[in-house]
Amino acid sequence: MADSPSFEQRTPVDFAIIGSGAAGGILARELSVAGFDVVLFEQGKYRKAADFTHDEYSVLINSELLGGGTRVNGHTFRHDASEIATSPRMPAIRYAQTVGGSSVHFSANFLRLRPSDFKERSMLGPISGTNFADWPLTYEELEPYYTKVEWEMGVSGAPGPFDAPRSRPFPMPPLPIKSCGVLFEKGAKAIGLHSQVQPHAILSKPMNGRAACMQCGHCMFFGCEVNAKSSTLAAMIPLAEASGHCEIRAESAVFRIETNSAGRASEVLYYDASGKQQAQRVKAVIVSANGAESARLLLMSASDQHPDGLANSSGFVGRNLMFNAHATANAVFERPLNEFKGVQASRLVHDFYESDDKRGFYGGGGIDARALWSSTPILHALRGMPPDVRAWGKDFKDAFAYNFTRQMTLASSTTSLAMDRNNITLDPTNTDQWGRPALRATYRDHDDDLAMARFLQDRSMEILDAAGAKKAWADPVHATDGGEHLLGTCRMGDDPASSVVDRYHRSHDVKNLFMCDGGSMVTSGRGQPTMTIMALAFRAAQHIAAAARAGNI
Amino acid sequence: MQSNNTLSRRRFLQSTGALSGTSLLKIGMPALAMITQAACSAKQQQAPFTTLNVAEAADLAAIAARIMPTTDTPGAADAGVVYFFDRALGDEMKSDLPAIRSGLEALNNTVAASHPGKAHFAKLSDDDQDRALAKIDGNAFFGLVWLLTMFGFFAMSRHGGNKDNVAWNLIGYPGHNGAWQAPFGYYDAEYDEGQADG
Repeated sequence: MADSPSFEQRTPVDFAIIGSGAAGGILARELSVAGFDVVLFEQGKYRKAADFTHDEYSVLINSELLGGGTRVNGHTFRHDASEIATSPRMPAIRYAQTVGGSSVHFSANFLRLRPSDFKERSMLGPISGTNFADWPLTYEELEPYYTKVEWEMGVSGAPGPFDAPRSRPFPMPPLPIKSCGVLFEKGAKAIGLHSQVQPHAILSKPMNGRAACMQCGHCMFFGCEVNAKSSTLAAMIPLAEASGHCEIRAESAVFRIETNSAGRASEVLYYDASGKQQAQRVKAVIVSANGAESARLLLMSASDQHPDGLANSSGFVGRNLMFNAHATANAVFERPLNEFKGVQASRLVHDFYESDDKRGFYGGGGIDARALWSSTPILHALRGMPPDVRAWGKDFKDAFAYNFTRQMTLASSTTSLAMDRNNITLDPTNTDQWGRPALRATYRDHDDDLAMARFLQDRSMEILDAAGAKKAWADPVHATDGGEHLLGTCRMGDDPASSVVDRYHRSHDVKNLFMCDGGSMVTSGRGQPTMTIMALAFRAAQHIAAAARAGNI
Repeated sequence: MQSNNTLSRRRFLQSTGALSGTSLLKIGMPALAMITQAACSAKQQQAPFTTLNVAEAADLAAIAARIMPTTDTPGAADAGVVYFFDRALGDEMKSDLPAIRSGLEALNNTVAASHPGKAHFAKLSDDDQDRALAKIDGNAFFGLVWLLTMFGFFAMSRHGGNKDNVAWNLIGYPGHNGAWQAPFGYYDAEYDEGQADG
């Protein structure tokens, strides 16, 4: 592998990409392999597979991969604008600060959107109080890039009965079924639903020098120790570095994008590992820092020319934050499932994916069978125990000892409707460890999203009953206290008055500034967004490279 | 109390009754072996507490021991969660130490009021301890000690508790093995491909 280059700060680099996650890692690889010089900024450390552990206390409780916990990160959260946002013990806005971003620590449940997700506003009409809108592209336009993600990142799976059309089969077979999947399949079939394989961005066979999954059971929250998880750290960044055109500038926290008198992005200002202020001159900037951080950076980059934040003439930067609503139902069975082994989710149903007027509210979603609260012991203590057992004493200990290996969860995932009231803003009082204004999230789920989550939870309880659960209970569904799917805050669209970037991720306001991450998404989809973020990144890279070659940046 | 801070782990175990005859009978052989082992290694280490004083450590250990009691299977005392408390409250949970201290003081004030002559929670009988905890179940102090107990019991032993993985053995969790192979559990071992064609 070629040595990673080190670019001179005062010579404008072709592209500064801010954020090395699902989108940034792909853009860095695509553009550097195409011959452009790229500096890939990451505020977290450059950890590799050998640096990852199974230490639940450090990773989950002390937020090792999230930057060390909210008290140093400066995230705040509130449900409504009338409240003062506060920092909970564990971060409300959860994303990894490490090279590869959240693609390093995600569970790797990996689903395409469906054709309806891109044009649902036209299909269903407006929903009052929301910014429900069509995407400026269709499923058919994105499909080749979904396929590219599957074959270049490495995705295991098998098609399901309701899947959108695909141009190529999955590149590798599904991972082994787990006990949660077997029981779910039985229960789902018994009530007339159609169980299908959960696809994963995890290798079931070796690929490009990466090992197949070892079934260690530490996907969710943890980094993969064998590079079987298809993070950009494992799949893309080594290729970017090998191109000789990409410098990974880790532990570099960007706090401002400067624009020049011509209205073009000219410089990226950041703090280096020692906290010292640095600047990198640029020909173009791509912000891929996630749906929370990208909006914060644009808002922090306000200037006389851009008083409400960079690229924010629409006022849509930070607005329309979407998390995906969720609901969970848990069950204990007679015999051990040992859900702490293997990947998170095993099977899912998509019978309720499309919105249906007969339900009385907008929305749709999926239900999957997974380990969730029974993946690791501390998580089980915090979230997994049944509500009818007092949380201490002999009965608690005995129930814990009995349930841990016998328990599973059905997780429902549904939409989030885009609304003005849900947003990312700069916290007026709190700052993060670098002195940047804290990232303030304001979020309250739309009633329809919660109604859909409850509907899916009711179906989950029916599935668990039909599967023969000894005991089952539903976790209360209420307005969420945070999220990890960070979507919608720099939405794409054709109209500069109601979107931040165009259909190719170029900002409407600043010609050489692009945003590509979960913030680009116009609707939330009904499950896990990472595959769509990656497909958007491959597509954006192609268009951005073509524009650069044509001298049109 | 400063001088008590240097009390050894072995003397602490004795002072909290973990090595007394009655508790040995109650906890059975596997736990006995573990405690003996713990005491032996502590004796070698002569390790002092670094954050808590001995009275605080005794009370917190006693609360933890009612949250995860030693019965026919090991509990918080056998896992040595108090050593996790001591380490964490001086490090990553340092900001919680004032709340722990004030909560403990409040608890001991109620202990002293209702049990004349007993100024410390740790001196109460198991049943009286349970009654005292039931009264504070739900308050912030109890929530914090509960969290610390869960962390100390279930975290990797390198963080100070979960001695010899007693907590993981209790729940059937083999820990952080590098790899597994299917079948993982009873139901997938029984699985017949195609049994559900949906």
